[in-house]
Amino acid sequence: MAGPAHPEAMAPPTPGRTRAAPPQMPSTWWSAKRIRTYILFDATGIIYFLIAFLGIRLINALGAGPEAWDAAMESLKNPIYIAFHLLTLVSVIFVAVRFFRLFPKAQPPAMGPMKPPPGPIIHGMLYVVWFGITAFMTAVLAGVIL
Amino acid sequence: MRALLLKIEPIIWLLFGQGILIGTMLLTGWVLVVGLLIPMGMVDASALSWDRAHGLATSWLFGVIPVGQLLLAALLVLPLWKGAHHVRSLLIDFGGAERDGAVGSLLYGVAAVGSVLAILAVVGL
Repeated sequence: MAGPAHPEAMAPPTPGRTRAAPPQMPSTWWSAKRIRTYILFDATGIIYFLIAFLGIRLINALGAGPEAWDAAMESLKNPIYIAFHLLTLVSVIFVAVRFFRLFPKAQPPAMGPMKPPPGPIIHGMLYVVWFGITAFMTAVLAGVIL
Repeated sequence: MRALLLKIEPIIWLLFGQGILIGTMLLTGWVLVVGLLIPMGMVDASALSWDRAHGLATSWLFGVIPVGQLLLAALLVLPLWKGAHHVRSLLIDFGGAERDGAVGSLLYGVAAVGSVLAILAVVGL
C-alpha cells in the first residue's frame, strides 16, 4: 500500500513563477457580502477563544471557594464584561444560524444502508435541539428548575 | 510543521466541528444567564450562589455519570478548538499561508494548553 502523499508533493521543484497565482484576499473584501459574512464567521473564533478562557477563570474561582466565586461573579457586573457577553451572544447566534444552514449540505448521501433525513428535517431538528438545550440550561442556571 | 498539522487534521476537525455544534449549543444558555441575566440583575444572584453552583457542577446522573463536570468540560474545551481553527483560517485569509505551519501550531498549542487547564479546573471541583 502506498504511503501518505508528501504535503508539498504538488509544489514546483524550484521556487519561482508558476501559472497558478497564490490566492489573495481582495482589498475590497468588506464590500462583498459573501466574503464579509465568511470573514465574520471566522472572526467569531476570537470570541470563542476569549469566552472559553473566561469560563476557565470562573471554574477555577468556583473550585477555590465561596469568596473567590463571589468575587468572580461580582466582576462580571463590569460594563466591559456585559458588553463582551452581549457580543458573545450575538456571535453564538450568528454561528448557530449559519452553521445549521450548512450542516444538512455536509451530510454524506448514505451511511451504509441508511440515508440521512431530508435537509429541511435535519435543519429543523438542529433548531429544536438548540432551543431545547438553551431553554433547559437557562432554567437550571437561573434556578427555575432543579 | 505543516506535515504534522496535516497528519493530525482529522482530530483537529473533530474537535473544531464539535466546538461549533456542541460548543454553540451549550454556550447560548451559559452566556445568557452567567454573563448577562445575573450581572444585569434580571435573575437573582442566589440562583448561582457558590453552594448551588458547586452542587450543579459536581452533580451526577444515575450516580455513575458526572454530568455536571462533563458538560462544563465540553463547554470550556470545545470552543477553544473552534476558536483556534477559525482564527487560523482568518490569518491565512489576511496574511497568506507562508507562516501557516508556525501560526497553526501556535494556535492549536494554545487550545491544547487551554484544554488541559479547563480539564484540571473541572476535575478540581
